[in-house]
Amino acid sequence: MLTIKVLGSGCANCKRLEQIARKVVEDMSMQAEIIKVTDYNDIMAYNVMSTPGLVINEKLVSYGRIPTPAEVTTFLTNALMAE
Amino acid sequence: MNLLSFLTQLLHGGLGNLAAYLAAHVLLCLLPAFYIAGAMTALIPKETVTRFLGRNTPKFVSYPAAALAGSVLAVCSCTIVPLFAGIYKKGAGIGPAITFLFFAPAANILALIYTGGVIGVDLAIARLVLSLAFGIGIGLIMALIFRKDDAAHDKATDTMFAAQGTMRRAALIFLLVLVTLLLSGTLKIGLLTNTYAAFTLPISGMDKFQDALYQLVPFDSSKGEEGVTAQGAILIGLLAFIGLSSWKGIEHIHEGFNRWTWASLVLVGVTLLTAAVGMSPHAGGLDILVNGKFFGVLVALAILGLILKTKLTEDETRDFLWESWKFVKQIFPLLVVGVFAVGVIRVIIKPEWIETLAGQNTLLGNLAGVVFGVFMYFPTLVEVPIANMFLSLGMHRGPLLAYLMADPELSLQSILIISTIIGKLKSWTYVAWVALFSTLAGLIYGAWVDGASIGLVSLYLVIFLALLSALLWFVNHRNEQKSASVPAD
Repeated sequence: MLTIKVLGSGCANCKRLEQIARKVVEDMSMQAEIIKVTDYNDIMAYNVMSTPGLVINEKLVSYGRIPTPAEVTTFLTNALMAE
Repeated sequence: MNLLSFLTQLLHGGLGNLAAYLAAHVLLCLLPAFYIAGAMTALIPKETVTRFLGRNTPKFVSYPAAALAGSVLAVCSCTIVPLFAGIYKKGAGIGPAITFLFFAPAANILALIYTGGVIGVDLAIARLVLSLAFGIGIGLIMALIFRKDDAAHDKATDTMFAAQGTMRRAALIFLLVLVTLLLSGTLKIGLLTNTYAAFTLPISGMDKFQDALYQLVPFDSSKGEEGVTAQGAILIGLLAFIGLSSWKGIEHIHEGFNRWTWASLVLVGVTLLTAAVGMSPHAGGLDILVNGKFFGVLVALAILGLILKTKLTEDETRDFLWESWKFVKQIFPLLVVGVFAVGVIRVIIKPEWIETLAGQNTLLGNLAGVVFGVFMYFPTLVEVPIANMFLSLGMHRGPLLAYLMADPELSLQSILIISTIIGKLKSWTYVAWVALFSTLAGLIYGAWVDGASIGLVSLYLVIFLALLSALLWFVNHRNEQKSASVPAD
């Protein structure tokens, strides 16, 4: 099972990224746990300087912008292959 | 006066102010401003600036870079706090972090454009220059006072700031043309305001429409109030359409573009062009005066459309539209409520109160401006119409600047967020410095407005800087005398 983390303190972009992530996971009908990381110290641990950030299995795949559903699908497929 | 008529008067004040703002001020300045802010967020890679914010960058580079980051990158809270935390913990340290934090709310591109458009270019420039000087000043002071804690962070790695980034040329040109669009709509120079052609549209009844509007929204031009013209009413209608089409076309832009997306862009263009021309209704029809602004806006829009269509990638276009729309969604409703409230409050406040308190450029007047700024929390940009209200009620421009400097910097909400990152002691030290510097900024600018010579103003600044350096030297000296074993908090 994949662990997906959405980094961001709750700004509009972070909420949108979470929505997209949930939708993609649903569309791919896969097992994944989606965690929202809101504490700045935890966010900083991923060396992210602008939110929202997307972390899949502890690997930072995107930050500072909202990836499209197609991109998120690619990230998730890659992560599944690596597992 | 009975209660009912008083309430009606309040409501009229609020609606009148709101209508006048939407019709007159918002369009040619705020609409392009939202798109400029959106383009900056979407098209400027953050690495172009952040690579100057690492801990190995010399001070004379990192402080100005921090200010630049505040102005260009940090229009949105998604960036301000993470970038602040990043610079503080893993980058150049508390000094540049504070400079960044100070500069971002006061001198970001939206705030500057809006201040310039509503109150005056002089105040926007004063806000920029003094924020820059004092932002760097406060940063240096904080870095000196809390040197020890910074040393503790030094073991951390610097990789976060190593990434390089360059801006694509098409994106840069796009941004510059957006700025041109803003300037050609708002600059008041003959070339742009002269009328070059005029024609009459045979629409009858526009004059009656305008008279009806004046009846509906009564105004008193001696108090600096503005009525709603027929043109203003048309623009408000167009704004509503932009809102609707953006909601349909941009809210779900991540799932793809649709017809509404393009409709909203066309509407924005039409609105800007409508706002640029002069309109004067009379019994026979509606006179349209085609001025230089119209041509400027038209050319800028054409170039923007061309770049958008042919040079920007789909990702860039999407991010640009989404970020711009996000700013509109985030700020515009608050601005509407704020402007309405300002109109209501204006009815209640007596000009004499303001004149007694802050009608002159005194220490007390400036302090009053700062205290009001600290204790009142207004959402982003609402401080501008509020400042405009104070100005029309007779506030001196000095205390006004003091207020404008203090209000966006210091609110309970932001102080709480900062203190989770840098701790309570540092936060309150920062607050104290901002209050002091804002008061001084007001005093200095006020003296300049009152006609003090540049020499005298510079003398004030020099005396102040000398006092400050003495204080810093003293703190530094004491720190050195204490042993290095004092634990950091």
